[in-house]
Amino acid sequence: MQDGAISFLPGENGCYSAVKPFARDGGTVNSRHFEDDILDLMHESIFTRALDGRILSWNKASEQLYGWPKEAALGRDTHEFLNTECDVGLDAAQKTLSDAGAWEGSLARQTAEGLEVVVEARWSYLRDTNGDPVAIAETGTDITERRRTEEALRLSEHRYHNLFQAMAASFWELDFSAVDEILRRVYRAGNTDFPRYFRDHPEVIREMMRATRVVDVNDETVKLFGRDGNKEELLHNVDPFWPQESNGDYIAGVLSAVSGANNYSVETKLRAIDGRVFDAHFTACYPPDTMGKGTLLIGVMDLTARNNAFAALDRMRADMAHAARVSMLGELAASIAHEVNQPLAAIATNGAAGLRWLNRPEPNLEEVRTLTDHIVSDARRAADIVARIRGMASSRAPKPVPLSLNDVVSETAQFLRHEIKAHKAELNLALARGLPMVMADRTQMQQVVVNLAMNALQALPQGPGNSRRVNIGTGLQGGEVLLTVEDSGTGIADAHLDHLFDSFFSTKEQGMGLGLPVSRSIIESAGGRIRAGAGTSLGGACFSIVLPAFGAEAETCPLA
Amino acid sequence: MSEPCISVIDDDESMRSAILGLLRAAGYQATGFGSAEDFLAADDSVRFSCIVSDIQMPGISGLELKRTLAADGCDTPVVLITARSEADLTDRARESGALCLLRKPFEADSLLNCIDKALAG
Repeated sequence: MQDGAISFLPGENGCYSAVKPFARDGGTVNSRHFEDDILDLMHESIFTRALDGRILSWNKASEQLYGWPKEAALGRDTHEFLNTECDVGLDAAQKTLSDAGAWEGSLARQTAEGLEVVVEARWSYLRDTNGDPVAIAETGTDITERRRTEEALRLSEHRYHNLFQAMAASFWELDFSAVDEILRRVYRAGNTDFPRYFRDHPEVIREMMRATRVVDVNDETVKLFGRDGNKEELLHNVDPFWPQESNGDYIAGVLSAVSGANNYSVETKLRAIDGRVFDAHFTACYPPDTMGKGTLLIGVMDLTARNNAFAALDRMRADMAHAARVSMLGELAASIAHEVNQPLAAIATNGAAGLRWLNRPEPNLEEVRTLTDHIVSDARRAADIVARIRGMASSRAPKPVPLSLNDVVSETAQFLRHEIKAHKAELNLALARGLPMVMADRTQMQQVVVNLAMNALQALPQGPGNSRRVNIGTGLQGGEVLLTVEDSGTGIADAHLDHLFDSFFSTKEQGMGLGLPVSRSIIESAGGRIRAGAGTSLGGACFSIVLPAFGAEAETCPLA
Repeated sequence: MSEPCISVIDDDESMRSAILGLLRAAGYQATGFGSAEDFLAADDSVRFSCIVSDIQMPGISGLELKRTLAADGCDTPVVLITARSEADLTDRARESGALCLLRKPFEADSLLNCIDKALAG
């Protein structure tokens, strides 16, 4: 205890009183009440206890802290009375007091109401004139609330740390305060159209990336972006992790942050420290409290495996579609042979005729010229047929392009010309004008229409007197492009309706049962739907396809 | 007897014109029809000494045409041609009473041989 502070000395009745040090010189100011009043004015709990632990004095703040009135406290054994517990152990605290003359630390105690309070306490000896300890003074402050807040904060930080470290995603804490500076500089220079400015100035984007400091990353980040478990080399700036092609995604994130968004996420390409570029899902959170400090939290998910699976699925779909096309070509083999043989026969015959004209004693070159013209045009016709078949037989990856569904239908009608003839069927096309384009692979769309038309042809009733008609129509339905294929066949049995699109379901002896499921997969990949129904104007089955309209109208002609 | 005249029936225009060209080059007179119906509708169909007809056509096929003619007591020889590959077509052609069946593409000489045989018949 320092000079000038209040000291406590033994008084009458074995009690101790607080007396001012100066009283030794200027006579004892023997007013216990006066001293008690002073103590009662203190905000801290102050009480004294004898060396054996009995409580000797108890101020107002102690009454408030522990809930015991002075009368109840005086004479009680301190630690038993307050149920004292000490982090370091009471004996150790006591020993520090004996050795050093004072002890400071936190104590857990129980109030009169049975509540636990945490008290920041300070013990000191009160000594007699010989300097021997005669009592112990304890001052204490209630730090229960503070402890609770600290504990909550500690738990929250622990949880955050756990999340940051243990989640199976890559987390980054970034400091972007310097990026803010660059943005301000750009803005002050009069560039208000940020998106355009950054399109024109990729070097400034790079400068911003270099200014984005990596504060911390978790283990998953080291696994995903690092090499040989080296974390240190990641903790510089984010420039190495953004390949050139992802500049736009980076800057969009920055602009979204300054625009006050809560978060930003994008599928993009990121780069590991060894240069490997991979597909990633990038998420940035902009919590206001850390934004104020200039830091933000980034989460990155590696999409490589997912995208590989998608790609494999796409390849499998394309392979299935190809298998179904090849199987379809097999069914059409006779028609195809017929169609190719036609121009070939014409060429051979024209050639033979030409030779005859040439071999005459006076060759008729005019006839030969006409025949040769025919040969050239027949050869072109044969080549066109072969090209169509080659398109159908090809196994290249599907490539969605803007298509006119009407064109696809016309090409299909051309392709099936002989098949229709062989079935002695009548094909009617009702193609709406001014239809929007659809986005799909040309070969695959032809495959779908050929498949539906062949199903229709094969469903037609045999025998004379039966109507053998197939209608293919296009139109608009609720802003989408509609294609229908109807036939005058026997329709679809109710029992079959639910299985039509199942793989390997077929009512035909020759059918593989791949046509409709593959058609559905093609249509759905193009964002459309395919449906089978009955009750058409022709009395047979009706298949309808709707596809989303793409962009401007395919033709500008008004509806007829 | 006048110059023999041959009718050529094929719905495929280029094939029809090729056969007509060949027959002209070989010194025959020939007339083309786009279908069996057109041929039957021609009032002078009896003037033809030989008929060259495709089998697969919309409407009346080459085989049906031969049978129709036979039923009407017309025995003008018929040479059938086809671009289809079904094996049973040969038998069906023979059964119909046709003189020959040629599969496209055929040698020009095969057709001319058939026609010579028909006209000699």
